[in-house]
Amino acid sequence: MAIPAAAAAAYRAAAQMGTTAASSAVTPAGVPGGNFSDFLSGAVKDSINTIRQGEQAATAQVSGKANLVDVVQSVNAAEITLDTVVAVRDKVVAAYQSIMNMPI
Amino acid sequence: MDFSKSMSVAASGMRAQTERMKIISENIANANSTSATKGGDPYRRKIATLTTDFDRELGASLVNAGKPLPDKSDFRNQYDPGNPNADSQGYVKLPNVDSLVEIMDMREAQRSYEADLSVMDSTKQMMAKTVDLLNK
Repeated sequence: MAIPAAAAAAYRAAAQMGTTAASSAVTPAGVPGGNFSDFLSGAVKDSINTIRQGEQAATAQVSGKANLVDVVQSVNAAEITLDTVVAVRDKVVAAYQSIMNMPI
Repeated sequence: MDFSKSMSVAASGMRAQTERMKIISENIANANSTSATKGGDPYRRKIATLTTDFDRELGASLVNAGKPLPDKSDFRNQYDPGNPNADSQGYVKLPNVDSLVEIMDMREAQRSYEADLSVMDSTKQMMAKTVDLLNK
C-alpha cells in the first residue's frame, strides 16, 4: 500500500514548508508539547503503525494463523485511520493553497 | 480511542460465540455416538460457559468462553437387543443430547453473534461519520 507513504511524504513536505520559510519567527518557543510538525509526524507514525497492523492481520489470515474477527477489527481500524489521514492531508493542502492564492 | 474499545468488546463477544458454536456442533454431531466399549458410557453432552473478564489495559469488560462443563443428566436408554453394545437386558445407552435444545442454543448463539456484528457496524458508522466532519 503506497498511500500511507505518499501521505507521510506530503505531510513532511507541508510541515517543513512552514518551518523553513518562516524559520523561528512563527514557531512558538517554549510551548509545552512541541510544535505542529512534531505533532503531525507523531500522528502520521501512529497511523502508519495501525495500517501496518491491518496488513499483518490480513497476511496472517491468508496463511491460516489469525482469527477472522481479529482481521476484521484490524482492517477496520486501518481503514478508519487511512480515511482520517487522507482527510487531514486534504485540509493541510487546502490551507496551503488558500495561502498561496492570497493576493499580495 | 473509545471506539476501538467498543470494537474490541464486540470482537470478544464474537470470539466467545464462535467457541460456543463449536461446542454446540460437537453435541449435535455426537447425538448418536455410542460407547466404543461394551457397557461403557456414550458421549456426554457439553454445556458452553461464558465468563466475563475485566481487561485493565483496555478498561472494559470482555467476554470469554470458559471451560465447557459436562451435562450430568441421565443418558437415554434405547431397547436394541441386536446392537453389539447392548447390555444383558438389551438396552443401549445413548448420549443425553436433545437435538431441539441444541438447535435452540445454536439459534441463540447465532443471534448473539449478529448482535455483536451490529454493534461493530454501528461503531464503524459512527467513526466514519465523525471523520466525514473533516471533509466539510
